[in-house]
Amino acid sequence: MPSVERSPRQLAEFLYLLTRQELKARYKGRLLGYVWALAHTFALAFVYWIAFKIIMGLDVVNYSVYLVAGMFPWVWLATGVTSATRSFVVNAPLIKEMGIAHAILPLSNVMQEFAHFVFALPAIIAWVWLAGGYVPSLSWLWQIPLMLALQAAFVYPIALGCALANAYVRDIDYLLGIGFPLAFFATPMVYPLSIVPDPLHHWFELNPLHALMQSWRSLFMESTLDPAQLAYVAGWAIALGAVAWALHRKLAPRIGEVV
Amino acid sequence: MTHAVTCEGLWKTYQRHRPVGVKSLLLGATIPADTRFAREWALADVSFEVPRGRSFGVIGANGSGKTTLLSILLGTVPEDRGRVALSGSVASLLELGAGFHGDLTGRENVVLYGSILGMRLAEIRRRFESIADFSELDAAMEQPLRTYSTGMIARLGFSTIIHAAADILLIDEVLAVGDARFQAKCHQALREFRTRGGTLVIVSHNMKEIREVCDAGICLELGRVVDAGPIAGVAARYEERVAAAGPGKAKGGTHAQR
Repeated sequence: MPSVERSPRQLAEFLYLLTRQELKARYKGRLLGYVWALAHTFALAFVYWIAFKIIMGLDVVNYSVYLVAGMFPWVWLATGVTSATRSFVVNAPLIKEMGIAHAILPLSNVMQEFAHFVFALPAIIAWVWLAGGYVPSLSWLWQIPLMLALQAAFVYPIALGCALANAYVRDIDYLLGIGFPLAFFATPMVYPLSIVPDPLHHWFELNPLHALMQSWRSLFMESTLDPAQLAYVAGWAIALGAVAWALHRKLAPRIGEVV
Repeated sequence: MTHAVTCEGLWKTYQRHRPVGVKSLLLGATIPADTRFAREWALADVSFEVPRGRSFGVIGANGSGKTTLLSILLGTVPEDRGRVALSGSVASLLELGAGFHGDLTGRENVVLYGSILGMRLAEIRRRFESIADFSELDAAMEQPLRTYSTGMIARLGFSTIIHAAADILLIDEVLAVGDARFQAKCHQALREFRTRGGTLVIVSHNMKEIREVCDAGICLELGRVVDAGPIAGVAARYEERVAAAGPGKAKGGTHAQR
């Protein structure tokens, strides 16, 4: 009798299929497919450009590039975590009736947004180049994959933790709806850190989201990565990973009963 | 002979776990006791064994703990006390359409569903023709699943799971939806599955089907095993009890958790 193996390889295939089919399903019947995802983020950047550059007269060099280089990683983070948060509740039958390894579900959401980001890379690079005059550097070939891995490692524990918590306390979903816009403006995304006044400045610098987003911007605008900032984000990723692991150990056994 | 499924002294009570709001959490409000269960135990001291290659039926009224039992076997719900041992890989068909995506075609769903069931991608591709043949869905295989009827979804699900090469299949009610001919085909496939050494645990209200598919079984009432043995006797005595109770207030708890 052949036996069904649920080896790491089988789980990796499942993750790949789940992510691919979800992306497929999302764009089925839509003519412009992922162009919508691109247009959404560019439109967001455009709105901030109008508001802060044109109306408020914010003085930042190459502000449109500054916005775009930060906005796409942010959308990956925020959308990934938000959709992952609902993943256990939305896919309750998979957990209850199929007994799948449920930690795969938020990972798939993070990977779907990861895929969106990777698909958007040509557009981001084109924008950085054409609008800002930053010529793509050969070093991006290792810098971009490094940043992709770092951000995925940072986002997944948050996604898993929120999904677990949301299975027990459904309000997490709504809390994130408030939390992400607040975090967006508490992180130097549409303004530079340098204009934040002194007592706050120090606190803003401690924000790991700033270190992450600033790394993306310095990658696209200067082709450099600050090892200290990378290490800081990596440290947070490890800490968040430990918290998510502890939550998983505590909450996972009864997940089939609460979703 | 080794047992494919062993349950020893299984106890299960549903805790008062349920989604709480942040409001009650913050205010420290006491959550009123969950009164959805008229009794303390969802399963009380349930024991049985299923030898490899056999088919085991679980019958009983709604809310008698059948689905809870399958969930524990599948491992999606933890037991409170007792021992569950399954030797071999498990696949489940507990709810129609679970694991299916309405916007994807039948073919895409087979691939995803096969992976959920634990099949390798190469295996799914290799068996795809055979799955498609069994389902008799033909051209509908390329149509999105939301255009399918319930019977078609059942055929797709059953065709995939019978090809999943699991050692133990857990099936809950879902075979009842197909037409008579397809049901006969399913029963034939399940017989072949058992000849290959596969083990079945089936929950059903359809006594005819239970008699046809199973060798032995148990009857649950309020989470307790009230009858066990060869299926013909268990099913007959269950029908007698139902007939004796009449169409009035059914014995059995409120319906199980959702």
